[in-house]
Amino acid sequence: MNELTVNDLHLDYGSGAHVNHILKGVSMHLQKGEVVALLGPSGSGKTTLLRAVAGLESPKAGTIAIGDRSVFDGNRDFELPAEHRNLGLVFQSYALWPHKTVFDNVAYGLKLRKLGANEIKDKVNDVLKNLGLGHLGERFPHQLSGGQQQRVAIARALVYNPPVILLDEPLSNLDAKLREEARAFLRELIVRLGLSALMVTHDQAEAMAISDRILLLNNGKIEQQGTPQSMYETPETLFCAEFMGSNNRLPAKVTARSGQQVTLALGGATLQATARGAGGTDPATIIRVEEVKISATPVDNAIELPLLTCMYLGDRFECLFKSTDGSEISVRAHSKYKLEAGSYWLHLPADKLWVF
Amino acid sequence: MQTLNRPGSGRHSINWPRGVVVTLAATAIFLPLLLIFYQSFLNAPFFMPAKELGLEAYQFIFEDPDFSVAFQNALALAAGLTVIAVPLGGMLAFLMIRTDLPGRGVITPLLLVPIFVSPMVMGFGYVVAMGPVGFYSLWVKDLLGFIPWNIYSFTSIVVIAGLTHVPHVYLYASSALKSLGSDVEEAARVTGASPLQVMFNVSLPMITPALAYAAVLVFFLGFEVFGLVLVLGDPEGHLVLATYLYKLTNKLGTPSYHLMAAVAVCLVMVTMPLVMLQRWLLKSANKFVSIKGKGARSKPMPLGQWKWLAFALIFVWLMITIIMPLSGILLRSFVQYWGEGVRLADVLTLQHFREILEQPALMRGILNTVLIGVIGGACAVICYCAIALAMHRKPDGITRFLDYSVLVPRAIPGLLAGLSFLWVFLFVPSWLDGVLKGMDNGVALWLSEHAIPLLRSLRSTIFALWLAYSVVWLAYGMRLISTALLQVGPELEEAARAVGASRGQVTRDVTVPLVKYGLLGAWLMVFLIFEREYSTGVYLLSPGTEVIGALLVSLWATGSTDLVAALSFINITLVAIGLGVALRFGVKLHN
Repeated sequence: MNELTVNDLHLDYGSGAHVNHILKGVSMHLQKGEVVALLGPSGSGKTTLLRAVAGLESPKAGTIAIGDRSVFDGNRDFELPAEHRNLGLVFQSYALWPHKTVFDNVAYGLKLRKLGANEIKDKVNDVLKNLGLGHLGERFPHQLSGGQQQRVAIARALVYNPPVILLDEPLSNLDAKLREEARAFLRELIVRLGLSALMVTHDQAEAMAISDRILLLNNGKIEQQGTPQSMYETPETLFCAEFMGSNNRLPAKVTARSGQQVTLALGGATLQATARGAGGTDPATIIRVEEVKISATPVDNAIELPLLTCMYLGDRFECLFKSTDGSEISVRAHSKYKLEAGSYWLHLPADKLWVF
Repeated sequence: MQTLNRPGSGRHSINWPRGVVVTLAATAIFLPLLLIFYQSFLNAPFFMPAKELGLEAYQFIFEDPDFSVAFQNALALAAGLTVIAVPLGGMLAFLMIRTDLPGRGVITPLLLVPIFVSPMVMGFGYVVAMGPVGFYSLWVKDLLGFIPWNIYSFTSIVVIAGLTHVPHVYLYASSALKSLGSDVEEAARVTGASPLQVMFNVSLPMITPALAYAAVLVFFLGFEVFGLVLVLGDPEGHLVLATYLYKLTNKLGTPSYHLMAAVAVCLVMVTMPLVMLQRWLLKSANKFVSIKGKGARSKPMPLGQWKWLAFALIFVWLMITIIMPLSGILLRSFVQYWGEGVRLADVLTLQHFREILEQPALMRGILNTVLIGVIGGACAVICYCAIALAMHRKPDGITRFLDYSVLVPRAIPGLLAGLSFLWVFLFVPSWLDGVLKGMDNGVALWLSEHAIPLLRSLRSTIFALWLAYSVVWLAYGMRLISTALLQVGPELEEAARAVGASRGQVTRDVTVPLVKYGLLGAWLMVFLIFEREYSTGVYLLSPGTEVIGALLVSLWATGSTDLVAALSFINITLVAIGLGVALRFGVKLHN
């Protein structure tokens, strides 16, 4: 049984002449123990979808069900208020109540559920210890670091064992170094406690690291969903391919097609490529930066370009090749060592050179 | 693990507290206004049995030459006041906020003093300091041989009114100037503009919406001016609408409520559109001055030798608006008698204060004033908070209705509001009586015996006065509280809802604790405003409901200058204590 089911959800902001359609028919489900990431650019509707599930936004049409309980039904005009949905929500800004101690922040949910004082104390101390906050119970939020505040926010959402925990950009408020540690910590915690989680993020690396399944949203609709590996290695649309990794866009012309094989003309060279997606009127050619192989000698399925510059990134060099004959071809590729000036052959493997 | 469920069914329930608050607020706001309108269309006071609907009241006042003179004077006063207050207020705001004038920290609170001093007290202060036998007049006469000013001329009244309304303009101009980056002014300086030119060509034009808003505000405040004209206009017979209304009783010798209502309706017809205009301007002003974000830093502009001119300007304003009247009152209350040829050292005394101690009515008045400020202020803040919470984060029709309703009392001057509440407490019991007499059942009889006498007796209790005060200052109090409520981030309330708190629990456990200090600051501000009040209590004055402001009005009419001076001094002291507490605890005197 699904812990969370969303069916054909529509949501607008505003009304009349200024109406803004945010969600245009989104359907998804979440199973027990699964971590699903809602990924997408700004304005794609991912935070709105999360808040609609939590009950903080009112959709126009569609259904939302938690377990077998319906919480929103557009046909019957039924909407369960947020306070009755029993979900855990971790805000991007953590939203810890500044006038309550850490203990009171976490205990508030249990107090509302009319538990006895001793039971509350046990449960709260238990969850705080679980998250490494055992000694911080009497502190106030402003006395904690960013990472500690985040863990208090998570503790507050977990303490009453909700079936699903919702996280709104949980790592965006942390600095870069902390983000890498928190990424691992979050995934380990969710798996260890056997939680089902729905997470919103705009960072694809974070989404791929933490989640079991990714839903890519574009302009209020789900563009593609799947495991991180399938989303990265087999994207079905140009948008998905461009969002999920670093790409080179090539101004190639399609000269022939046969099934999945495509023949391209690029800067005087002929290349073999693979067709992906539904195809469109204006085919776009891309290849991931890390798939480009640099060679000093001619190789097949390659183009020759002069080196413009090499940028040092610490673990590798990123080299930029740009055409000088006016054909506007520029390619980035990775190299372990710094390259001498000159022309190089860039091998573009046929199965990694995608035409959408 | 088993999910812990929150108790409750989740069905939508009617928000009873909100409904009660909205109903009570709407009744308190609109019932008096409706009564005024109703009374103006009757040809006799509403408690007379032989009354009928008609336009006689309007006919009378339109034919009365005094009415048209009063109306024209009111217009002239409002216009003159605006012309004086707006430029001065803008310039002072520029000097305080955008320049490096030394002593800004000290001068800024002083600039706000006239807001907290009762205009009645100010008027009296001017008479005592600069009148024909005023302290300063006689000293200047000694020096020059004549008195170069006439405090009772209409021009003087307009000038004084303009100067005392400068703080209102200052408040809005200064908050608009605070949000300007200093780069535009620096660009002007680099091009070669002096500070004066920068002020007139760059800074003030950039805050035009705020100045327009402030201009409309002081214009309709000018229309409502009462105490100043009552004191200064009498000797030469200058009337404005508010004093004309006050003197209508003397005109006919009987309570001519219908005539007063007609004048009131005329006043409200002018002020109401102005209030709506002002609100519309505020909305567009907010859209304009949004130079937010990581904008340019604000660096104060160096004045150089213009400093002295600025000091002179500020000193002259402080002198005329604050120092002279207040020092006049101070001296007069400690002086046995005063006139030409009297030496100050001979006549210092505490006699007037002893007289006050001996008169129970006056002592009651002082006590009532303190009580209504402290306890009444607290109750008022609680009511304002309830109304603000009824509008908080609920953007629906009811909120819009409350938004506009809250502005309505603003258009009604204090004098009228007091009068209308008097009528409410006279009218409602007798109307209820009439209705209940027709009914025969037990409930009607019980109400007849208990509720009606209770309502009747309420009129002469301090409750009626408190209600009138709270309604008159509704918009001011709401502004204070909604500023505090805006500081609470919405996610804090949403987090509480996500964890399972109902709306009432969110308000109790999250919103109200977080605005605790804002509410305390609001209490202090409301205390100050209630202390300064004078016109609202005039018609509700009866044994038991005396407050200092209303007592001043009636004592002035009987000519007891000594008592007026001493009472004014006490009033100023109360306000000074309140201001001192506010400054000590860093309560912002402006928003």
